[in-house]
Amino acid sequence: MRARSLQALLIGGALLLGSGCVRQGTYHWGRYDDTLYRHYKKPAEREAFVEGLRTTILEADEQGLRVPPGICAEYGYALYEEGRLPEAISFFQRERTQWPESQVLMDKMIRNAELRAGKKAGPPALAPAAATGAAGALEQSLEKNGRQKKTLENKRLEKKP
Amino acid sequence: MTRRIMWATALVALAAGCATAPRKDYAKLYAAQPRSILVVPVVNKSVNVDAPDYFLSTVPIPVAERGYYVFPVNLVKRVLEDDGLADAGLVHGADATRLAAMFGADSVLYIAIERWDAKYVVVATQVTVEFSYVLKDGRTGDVGPDRAEDRQDWVPAAGAEPAPSLVAPAVAPAALDAKTPAASPR
Repeated sequence: MRARSLQALLIGGALLLGSGCVRQGTYHWGRYDDTLYRHYKKPAEREAFVEGLRTTILEADEQGLRVPPGICAEYGYALYEEGRLPEAISFFQRERTQWPESQVLMDKMIRNAELRAGKKAGPPALAPAAATGAAGALEQSLEKNGRQKKTLENKRLEKKP
Repeated sequence: MTRRIMWATALVALAAGCATAPRKDYAKLYAAQPRSILVVPVVNKSVNVDAPDYFLSTVPIPVAERGYYVFPVNLVKRVLEDDGLADAGLVHGADATRLAAMFGADSVLYIAIERWDAKYVVVATQVTVEFSYVLKDGRTGDVGPDRAEDRQDWVPAAGAEPAPSLVAPAVAPAALDAKTPAASPR
């Protein structure tokens, strides 16, 4: 496994060196940049963005390609926004397992999702001392965001015939 | 036929982009060996309101393909917005070490769009973008020598259809040459 990923890195590196810049290299990105841009341009295209993330992960898994850094986290966050918390947590965990670099952020996201799911009894977990202010605010604001999302969802549902 | 022309222009733009990528001295950052990069929202000094988000969407792929862990840009943007940092200018003014600690990042990449010109021609739109960027060490806040500047032309296929990944490769090779170790997928 290790040898294989090393080989993939070497091949990716060789491709990068060879061509100067390549569209696709080490990872399977799907239409990530395109759908993200469209989502920013027209917020209504959020679903296409989320669906694109899901497809990218599925395709990579099916074809034995590598899921790029951040993709599982983005998808987990989309699920979090939709209130699909257990699924969100599982994608945050997958990101954390695949990319140890994401651990600090993913730990926070998972804790937030758990808090929101209300599974935890007792007071909210304390943030690490080093980042108390930022982390505290982060948690509160994520909660707030969850509520806003709900309102948005309801509005969207209302519009449907 | 039109399709072929589009491909040709896209290829020209791609080649030009690669050729013009500048090299900067980031010795201090190489010494720090960042493995992960937090790309914060882009500051806009152009008159095109879409430019920052447009540009932001082009950054993760080329940077990640160079072996760095790139934090999920959309998640980061949303989290910052919810944290009262909806304005990219505020984010850029915030302490890099604090931002890095908040996300657990080794380094922070700041990008500002200086100018954004779109010229409309028959088959495609040509966009010229001038931008500056700086990569800061997440532990010390150290920077490369100065703010680096770059300028790039590219042609989004068919006018409305963006080919965003053509833009940011200019950022990636300059700020992050392949000296540092790759991020470690498991």
